[in-house]
Amino acid sequence: MTNTATLHISTGPDALALTLRGVLNLATTPDILARLARIPCPLPKLIRADLSDVTRMDDCGALIVMELSRMTGTAGGRLDLEGVPDHVRDLLAFLRLDTPPEPGIRRRPRPGFLTRFGEKTMHVVDQSASHVSFVGEATVTLASLLRHPGRLRLGDTVMYMQQVGVDALPIVGLISFLLGLIMAFMSAVQLQQFGANIYVASLVALSMVRELGPIMTAIIVAGRSGSAFAAEIGTMKVSEEVDALITMGFKPAMFLVAPKIIASALVVPLLAVFSNLFAIAGGLLIGVTTLDLTVNAYMTQTMNTLSIFDINWGIFKSVIFAVLISTVGCFKGYQVRGGAASVGQATTSAVVSSIFLVILTDSILAVILRYWRP
Amino acid sequence: MSETVISVRGLTMGFGDHVVMKDLDFDIGKGEIFVILGGSGCGKSTLLKHMVGLYKPMSGTIAIAGMLMDPDDGETFRRILARIGVMYQGGALFSSMTLGENVALPITEYSGLRGRAVDDLVRLKLRQVGLEGFENHLPEELSGGMKKRAAIARALALNPEILFLDEPSAGLDPISSAELDALILRLNRTLGTTFVVVTHELSSIFTIAGRVVMLDKTTKSIIAEGDPHELRDRSTHPFVRRFFNRQPEMET
Repeated sequence: MTNTATLHISTGPDALALTLRGVLNLATTPDILARLARIPCPLPKLIRADLSDVTRMDDCGALIVMELSRMTGTAGGRLDLEGVPDHVRDLLAFLRLDTPPEPGIRRRPRPGFLTRFGEKTMHVVDQSASHVSFVGEATVTLASLLRHPGRLRLGDTVMYMQQVGVDALPIVGLISFLLGLIMAFMSAVQLQQFGANIYVASLVALSMVRELGPIMTAIIVAGRSGSAFAAEIGTMKVSEEVDALITMGFKPAMFLVAPKIIASALVVPLLAVFSNLFAIAGGLLIGVTTLDLTVNAYMTQTMNTLSIFDINWGIFKSVIFAVLISTVGCFKGYQVRGGAASVGQATTSAVVSSIFLVILTDSILAVILRYWRP
Repeated sequence: MSETVISVRGLTMGFGDHVVMKDLDFDIGKGEIFVILGGSGCGKSTLLKHMVGLYKPMSGTIAIAGMLMDPDDGETFRRILARIGVMYQGGALFSSMTLGENVALPITEYSGLRGRAVDDLVRLKLRQVGLEGFENHLPEELSGGMKKRAAIARALALNPEILFLDEPSAGLDPISSAELDALILRLNRTLGTTFVVVTHELSSIFTIAGRVVMLDKTTKSIIAEGDPHELRDRSTHPFVRRFFNRQPEMET
C-alpha cells in the first residue's frame, strides 16, 4: 500500500476546483489540510472537489471533507463532491458527514471571576459540613469503642502502630539528634560570650521537650503516615472498596479510621519522647566535645531544668497532634472522587492541612499554657 | 492465510516460578479478527499483555510485522508501538483529562494534525463509538460502558494496523455491544485493521471472529484453534463443546 496523496487546486472565476487522489489517511491528511488553509481568501461561492481517484480514505481523510464544507460555509457557498467512490460515500455516511456539519467542539466555558469565587466559597462551606460530619462519625465510633472495645480491629491497629511508630524510629531519631546538635552548636556561640555554657543543656532540653520534639515528630508523622492514610483510603474509594465495605455491613469509620487514629494516638507520643532523648543526646555530644562540659554536669543541668509537667505537656500535645494528623489523613482520603489525580491531591492536601493544624493547635496550646501556668 | 502480522513462537509465559502457558505457537494474518478464548483466569489477558510488550516472555518470541517484540530494544519497540493500539479491560482512561483530551493525546503526539483538525478528528472518533457530545466530560462522570467505548475511541485514535482489545464488550448493554461488533467489522473491512480480541461473549465471538484460539488452564496450552462455528459444531474436546454451548462442568 502506498501512502501518498495528491491535491490539485485550480482557481476559476466562479469556482474552486480541487482534485484529490490517492490515500487519504493520518499520514497524508495534515499536508493537505495545510495546503487548503493556504488557499487565499475570498473563496469563490462554489467549491468542486473531485474524489474519483481516491483509493482509500479513513476518518482522518474525512477531516478534509469537513474542512471543505466549513470553507464553503464561511463563504456562504456550496460544496460539490464529484465522482465520490462507493467506499468514500460509505465512510461519509457512517461518520454522518453527508449531512451539514455541526459547530465545532465547544470548549468547556471558563466561568467568570464572580462565579468561580462563589463556587469556591460554596465548596468550602460544603467541605466544612462534611468535615463536621466526618469528625462526628469518628467521635461516635471511638466512643462506641469505649463500650465495646472488642470491636476494634486489633490486628490492623497493631500493624498501623508498627507503620506509624516503629518504622518511623530511625528517621525521627536521626532528625532529632541532628536538631539537638544544631541547637546546641548555635546557642553555644552566643552563650559562651557570657560564660553560660551550662545553659545550653537547659535550652536544648526545654525547647525540645516542650515544643520542638512534639512538633518535629508530628511533621514527620504527617509526611510519612498522614499521606499514607489519605492515599490508602483514597485508592480504596477509587476502586470501590469502601463501597464494598459499606454494602457488607461494615462501618468504614470502624474498619478504616478507628485503627489508624488509635494506633497513632498510642505511638506518636512515644515517638516524641524518643525524639526528645535523641535531641538531648545531640546536645550532649556538642556540650561534651566543644563546651568543656562533663556528661554528668550536662545531664544534671538537663534534669534540673525539666519538670515532670514539661514532659507530660509534651506528651499531651503529641496525642492531640496524632489524632489531628490521622483524622485529617483519613478525611482527605474519604474525599477522593474519581481517579488517580484526585488521590494525589488528597495526599498533598492531607500533609499540608495536618501540618497547618499542628502548628495552629500548638500556638493555641501555648497561649492557654501562658495563662494557666504563668 | 494472507501475510502474517503477528507470529508467536514457543511462547512460555509466567511469573516467577509459576508458568501460566507454555510453548504457544500461532500466527495472526493481516486483516484477521483473531479471538483469544478460555476460561476465567487461564491467562488470556496475560497473553495479550505479552503481545503488546508489557510483560517479558519466560521463553519464546513474539514478532509483530516482522519485528521482534523486545521492550529493551527501544527503537524497534517504538516502531511496533506506532502500529498497535490497545484497549485495556477497565478502560484505563486518564482520570485527570476529559474524554476529548484523552483521545486527542495520541493524535497531537504522533500526527501532524493541529488545532481544529484535532478537535474534528476527536469528534469523529467519539462519534464512531457513540459518545459524541461527551468531549468535555471527565472519565469519572461516565458509566462503565461509556468509559469502555471512550477507551476504544482512544485506541482507534491513530487508526493503528493492529488493535488489541481486552474484553471490549464486558459491561456493555447488548445494543452497545452489537454496535461495537459492527464497528470492529467495519474497521476491519474498510481499513484492513487486524484485531486481537479477548472476549467471553459468545454472540460477539460468532459475529466477529475469523479465527479463535482456546487456551486451557490445566494443560497450559492451546486446546483448539479455528473457525468458531466449526469448533462449536465439530469439536470433540469436551471443554470446547461446553464453552460454546454454555454448559456447566457438572452436566454430562
